[in-house]
Amino acid sequence: MVTGLLSSADRRKARAFIEAQGLRFESTFDDLVGIHEGRSLVAVGARDGNVLKMLAIEPSHQSGGLLGELVTELIRLGTAAGHEALFVYTKPEHAGSFEQLNFSLLASHGRAALLEYGGHLTRYLEANRHLVRRGSNGAVIMNCNPFTRGHRYLVEESAQRVDTLYLFVVREDRSSFPFEVRLRLVREGTRDLPNVLVLGTSYYAVSAITFPAYFLKQPDQAAEIQMELDLTLFAQRIAPFFHVTRRFVGTEPLCATTRAYNQAMRRVLPRFGIDLVELERKEIAGEPISASRVRVALAAGELSGLETLVPESTLAYLRSDESRAVRERIRSSEGRH
Amino acid sequence: MTIRKKAQAGTMQSSDLMVFVEPAPELTIEIESTVKLQFEHLIRQRIAAVLHEQGVTAGKIRVSDRGALDYAIQARLETALQRAAAE
Repeated sequence: MVTGLLSSADRRKARAFIEAQGLRFESTFDDLVGIHEGRSLVAVGARDGNVLKMLAIEPSHQSGGLLGELVTELIRLGTAAGHEALFVYTKPEHAGSFEQLNFSLLASHGRAALLEYGGHLTRYLEANRHLVRRGSNGAVIMNCNPFTRGHRYLVEESAQRVDTLYLFVVREDRSSFPFEVRLRLVREGTRDLPNVLVLGTSYYAVSAITFPAYFLKQPDQAAEIQMELDLTLFAQRIAPFFHVTRRFVGTEPLCATTRAYNQAMRRVLPRFGIDLVELERKEIAGEPISASRVRVALAAGELSGLETLVPESTLAYLRSDESRAVRERIRSSEGRH
Repeated sequence: MTIRKKAQAGTMQSSDLMVFVEPAPELTIEIESTVKLQFEHLIRQRIAAVLHEQGVTAGKIRVSDRGALDYAIQARLETALQRAAAE
């Protein structure tokens, strides 16, 4: 029977068990559950938001149904917590065990595989089928926190080089500006460009699932694996669906995480026949325009001078009452996003 | 019977299935199964029959099956529906 591991003694045992199976114990999770035989643990697993992790089973018990029992309980807890889609990272050689449980593989490469439960990628693509255009298409994935003249420049330049440009806006709500606002400002700021189609990324690109390190300040070693999986997923599943053969990106002089991501794109995308086009960033007063520059100005309470950094649609929003709460939040804390 | 809230029933064990139901304006049935190619139509028939018996006309029904037999499908779906209908 699967039971929650709640007491600190249980958690210490779980930690020792997880580490004995060669996994790293992470102290962030919403649920930690285990299966006992007699008084000793034979299986442990955890859920952190919509990600299942630290799944470990005693080697002598691996041929039975313990994985199914653990995952059943974690999915029950995850669903009860309101998550529609659940994800798991595992070693590529274990992907099959999860597929047996009706997980579907999103992406796999040398060191890691990412699977989801519920078939949501297929649903996401189907929901966007009306946006599919024939031709030689391009894609750009941006957070747009908020939409600046730099983004606008990159989109305009990219759109001139392809039949249709897909502008994917990062869905994850971990930025100063909420997704709905970011998406709306992108739509307003690109409305006059007829071959630009705007859509959200859902869980499937630069999200807390595919690329959690994007939302942290310092990329660690695991970040590299995540970036490569994120890009493999894009190249194998998303790009072909939209006939995308080129991905556009601005050169990154400022941020180490984004620069590392650009390097990963250079390594991964060409393997799948996708060209990476790096465009020089637009500069104002000798420095590239960036959304973080806008946020620094907002943090200092400087609304004047913003018109050189953001287009009118974004400026109107920043000057409106609607953005007051966001501006105040930025003023009180300025992290990476 | 009306689906008032999200509910689920079942397990991921072999020969069992998990059923997820939630409120929705229309009735939709999604099936994932390790034996989908061979038996999807029979699973769908069974589910449709239970929904009909219970008078369910709206809701999203998602089934994740690992080769369950008819009576298991019926029992799991009925349980999920009862949980979803509870006040």
